[in-house]
Amino acid sequence: MDYSKYEQKAHELRNKILDLTTNAGTGHLTSSLSCVEILTALYYGNILKYDPKNENWPERDYFILSKAQGSPLLYTILADVGYFPESDLKLFAQKDGKLSVHLQNSVPGSEILCGSLGCGYGIAAGLALGFKKNRTANVVYSMLGDGECYEGSIWETATFVAHHRLNNLITIVDRNYACATHFLEDELSIEPFADRWRAFGFDVKEIDGHSFEQIFPILNMTHSHCSSRPLVIIADTIKGKGIPMVENIPLWHSRPIPKEMYDEAKRELNQEEQR
Amino acid sequence: MNKITMRDTFWNRVYGLAKEDKNVIVIAADMGAPSLDKFRVDFANQFINAGIAEQNAMLVATGLAMTGKKCFVYAIAPFITLRCYEQVRNYPAGMDLPITVVGVGAGICYEDSGPTHHSVEDITLFRCLPNMQIFNASDNNMTAKFADMAYQSKHPNYVRLDRIVLPNIYDENYDFSSGLGVLRDVSDINILSTGNTIQTALEVSDFLKNEGISVGVIDAYKIPIDYDVFSKTVQGAKKILTLEEHTLPGGLGSHVCEIVMDLGLNIQVKRVGFDFSKKYCYVYGGREVVHRAYGMDANSIREMIKGMM
Repeated sequence: MDYSKYEQKAHELRNKILDLTTNAGTGHLTSSLSCVEILTALYYGNILKYDPKNENWPERDYFILSKAQGSPLLYTILADVGYFPESDLKLFAQKDGKLSVHLQNSVPGSEILCGSLGCGYGIAAGLALGFKKNRTANVVYSMLGDGECYEGSIWETATFVAHHRLNNLITIVDRNYACATHFLEDELSIEPFADRWRAFGFDVKEIDGHSFEQIFPILNMTHSHCSSRPLVIIADTIKGKGIPMVENIPLWHSRPIPKEMYDEAKRELNQEEQR
Repeated sequence: MNKITMRDTFWNRVYGLAKEDKNVIVIAADMGAPSLDKFRVDFANQFINAGIAEQNAMLVATGLAMTGKKCFVYAIAPFITLRCYEQVRNYPAGMDLPITVVGVGAGICYEDSGPTHHSVEDITLFRCLPNMQIFNASDNNMTAKFADMAYQSKHPNYVRLDRIVLPNIYDENYDFSSGLGVLRDVSDINILSTGNTIQTALEVSDFLKNEGISVGVIDAYKIPIDYDVFSKTVQGAKKILTLEEHTLPGGLGSHVCEIVMDLGLNIQVKRVGFDFSKKYCYVYGGREVVHRAYGMDANSIREMIKGMM
């Protein structure tokens, strides 16, 4: 398969979120960079069913970004696919703007208010159960951060999802190994991470979260996922992926690249692309 | 005297609603009631036991509400308000969803269980949430109506129920829309209370009536209190003693002080409730014993009223 058009889109999105966060002087750049390929596949690869012209389309699939720190990326995509004008991105977290550093349900396509970790996933479970009760075919995709999995409520939800066999909920963990201040495995390990999910009753797929060759075969089968065991995709990623100067440095977590470092970051990003 | 508890009264009414509307869902966090035993058998598809996991229960209710369900989320009051407070804040309240939190165990009605089971901060915490309506029940006729009102609401609600059986005060057809029930005519001096301590207020008022002293009794069963309703209701009042089985900071008494001040009313307010500034309540032996220990029993209130005259 030729994934070059998705690689090109991912690169374009990385440039846009760098511009957006540096321009705003805020926003979680590195949290956004780690999940670019997965969201590119979901939104541009015919995985998610959605209609930007009809944000409340009842038959749509739901994407619940539980790690709402990825909002610079999600908002960039929502604007790009037509949920709202791209000009709104220029006012990200600015006076008279509509977009905040975290998710607001008032923003078309964002579905929920989110920012506090450990919450979106339970809502995704409720949605999936509601669609089962309503006998509708909507699929719910929820992306968690690995650091978010420190929250006890994630495991309350995992218990619930497995018991109710919510196979219409696809759980994706952005396993970028870093929180706001530290690497997970150094200071408070969550391993054996895949085994934890297996023990809760999930089917686990572990992939390279930056490889479309690995992402698409899994996501392509999610609409027909009929195992009674719900699916979790653990996507191994790099926090800050694409801009080496911020890659894998936890303390860049909530920092945008300052204006004086912007040119260098841009250069790195575009060199990476050529590489 | 009633024989049926508030929670059974409430769930019996929800049973009727669920029978008519398949979108009514009860989510219990490992909390039952005899009436719910029937519900979970007859409407298995509308009952979810979320286990002892209140945070997830509230989040699941949120997702279900987004698919058109009318959720009632139920547990012992302090657990379904405090353990998942952030979830209530961000979702039913923050996203303005029609979810009803149902807590049994208002105030210290689980007094024998100690402070972990006392629900004495919930009014403070819930009345500051956007869109949230607290329904604090003082009798069964009201409780049944609360089920209907919560069901019809398009916003989040918190129904706060007592554990014990309280005598009926209101007529079955009473109109509960205003939020304030005048149970004894408003006078110079009045007791404004909520929930089970309405019984104390009535006892004091009726006792003092025999001494020729008239004391008004107002039941604040909907919180926040509507400012217009309040100002109309208290016309002519000079003094209000607020009585609540709740901690004083931010509670009913604080709420009344805010309204009186905001409206510039010339009313003296005295607040009676729990002072937990040093420690929680570790008094056992029944609710009456606790009330006496904290100066909230009828005798103490009577003397306070006389002192205010």
